[in-house]
Amino acid sequence: MKSTYRALAYLIAAGVALQAASVALGFFTIIHEVEDGRVISAGYDYDSNLGIILHRIGGLGIIPLSAIALLVVSFFVNVPGAVRRAAAVFGLVILQIALVFAAFMSASVGALHGLNALALLLAAIWAGWRISHPTPVDHGEVVAVEDQTATSR
Amino acid sequence: MINARRRSDRAVLGIVASLAVLVPLGWLWVGSLVPETYSVMDMGYPDYGGGTGDPGHTAHALAGPVVRPSDVRVTELAGPQSSQPDVAVTLVARQESVTLATGETVEGYTLNHESPGPLIRAQQGELVEVTLVNDSIVDGVALHWHGVDLPNAEDGVAGVTQDAVVPGERHIYRFVAENPGSYWYHSHQVSHEQVRGGLFGVLVINPAEPQRDLDVVAAVHTYDELRTVNGATAESRMTAAPGEAVRVRAVNTDNAPLDVAVVGVPYRVLAVDGRDLVGPNPVTGASVQIPAGGRADLGFDTPTDGSAVRVQLGTEGDTALLVGPAGAQAPSADPAEDNVDLLSYGSPAPLGFDPDDTDRRFDYSIGRRPGFLDGIPGLHWSINGHVFPDVPMFVVTEGDVVRMTIENHSGEIHPMHLHGHHAVVLSRNGTPASGSPWWVDSLDVASGDTYEIAFVADNPGIWMDHCHNLPHATEGLVAHLAYTGISTPFLIGGAAHNEPE
Repeated sequence: MKSTYRALAYLIAAGVALQAASVALGFFTIIHEVEDGRVISAGYDYDSNLGIILHRIGGLGIIPLSAIALLVVSFFVNVPGAVRRAAAVFGLVILQIALVFAAFMSASVGALHGLNALALLLAAIWAGWRISHPTPVDHGEVVAVEDQTATSR
Repeated sequence: MINARRRSDRAVLGIVASLAVLVPLGWLWVGSLVPETYSVMDMGYPDYGGGTGDPGHTAHALAGPVVRPSDVRVTELAGPQSSQPDVAVTLVARQESVTLATGETVEGYTLNHESPGPLIRAQQGELVEVTLVNDSIVDGVALHWHGVDLPNAEDGVAGVTQDAVVPGERHIYRFVAENPGSYWYHSHQVSHEQVRGGLFGVLVINPAEPQRDLDVVAAVHTYDELRTVNGATAESRMTAAPGEAVRVRAVNTDNAPLDVAVVGVPYRVLAVDGRDLVGPNPVTGASVQIPAGGRADLGFDTPTDGSAVRVQLGTEGDTALLVGPAGAQAPSADPAEDNVDLLSYGSPAPLGFDPDDTDRRFDYSIGRRPGFLDGIPGLHWSINGHVFPDVPMFVVTEGDVVRMTIENHSGEIHPMHLHGHHAVVLSRNGTPASGSPWWVDSLDVASGDTYEIAFVADNPGIWMDHCHNLPHATEGLVAHLAYTGISTPFLIGGAAHNEPE
């Protein structure tokens, strides 16, 4: 279960990276189309833009499904904080989608979508890393010993 | 022991928590699935708008066709069947390369090897007969007469008023050209692809009395992101004598609004959506915004000094029509800052009915909602808070005065198109209309705007009422207007693979 948890968390992190790549691809595709004299309007065929297609599949398919799977798996992983961190990832994914919704109303909100992506990236990496590196704080006495070892070095 | 107990407690908790996440999602997902075959009669829920109901239309969502023996079938609501046509046209539809007037080639659809298809002109009162032949369009085809308030059976919507015409088959449309004006025809089977690919043409109904104006059609269409006027990407020329009166019929066949401006002389907006405006005043330095699917007739006199007039079609690009003597100099493009506000343009005149004597009131509130549509997660268009196919069926009875409030809070503009009827705009964002009666079949409702419109339910049938940004229609921005006592035997999907959007 732990390895599934870790794999899902890192999959989400990788997904965020691919989201960054695909949105840049989509945006530069549009810039090239504009420069080629094509008409970009409400009639734009988004399905002709690979970057936008990939961003949609990642953002409304792979990442939310992985976040749900991570949350479900977290219930079966006996590691303190695993559920909390999976829930944080899940919450940031929901927020990310809500920001898309809001950005359709007001473009400036789109900037928050970009920033929240970084928060999601960090949260996913943190969740994946911590599942195999549980915090020593969970075992009070050991902490003191480890701390002493740390200072003696 | 205690550890084992804890572990099993934990597993139970995990399973319960997982179910708490997965069951609602699964429920929403399953609930969003659209059957492969269904009748629009059973789609969503009936909205009686405060009027009397009709037991035939109270079916639950997609519960199976409710067609009562007493119902009139839409096929019975046809145009004149026996008399000789005054205008007879055969249109052969093909899926093939389209060579634009300026030489570019795009993959698309043609009628009689042309795109745009042949211009059809009829005189007011004439009987038009169009034979549609499908030569090679695998998905099938149907022709909708956009803006023509014709009998329901001739409306050309696959799965609602007919079955899609499969390759090798034909379908005959017959209707009387009643209201003079500018219209167009286009496929209403897989329309988001076929219209974009060029399966459309222009229909002009001339008034019975002869007109002296030079009559020019300017059909704007974007093929593969190349904007064209009458199939040409560059500036087109139209010869006119100095001082000649000209009527340009601008037709927006695209999915986006189109700004049209006349540069060089003042102009008047003579008609919108095939209905003349009353008392059109001269306009200088402003453009007319035509919704997707809409039309505007612009009138002007060419300059007496022998120069040409530029009719600029779209703010970007160089699609324009130059009207004047051969070789005459035309002014350069001058993007207009303002749009003509049709809410206050022209002079008031009687509507011919009392919109306050309302029988039915409907809301058509357009939003966006996260959720599933046919199993696909996304931010989907919603109508009155519901996502397709759980959309309203607006139920009316013949003779009703209907008011509809169209409100848009979805973040994008929507060109709303009601089939078979023209509605008059009563107000926008609470400001009452103060100009000429503004009759529309296609109305742009920008995000944040609320329009109140009214119409008389005087054309029995089952009519689509949808967004004419055609990809939006495929994304579920579709409702229907249904008359009591009428039903359709046609099905979405089915053996003919009807797919109107």
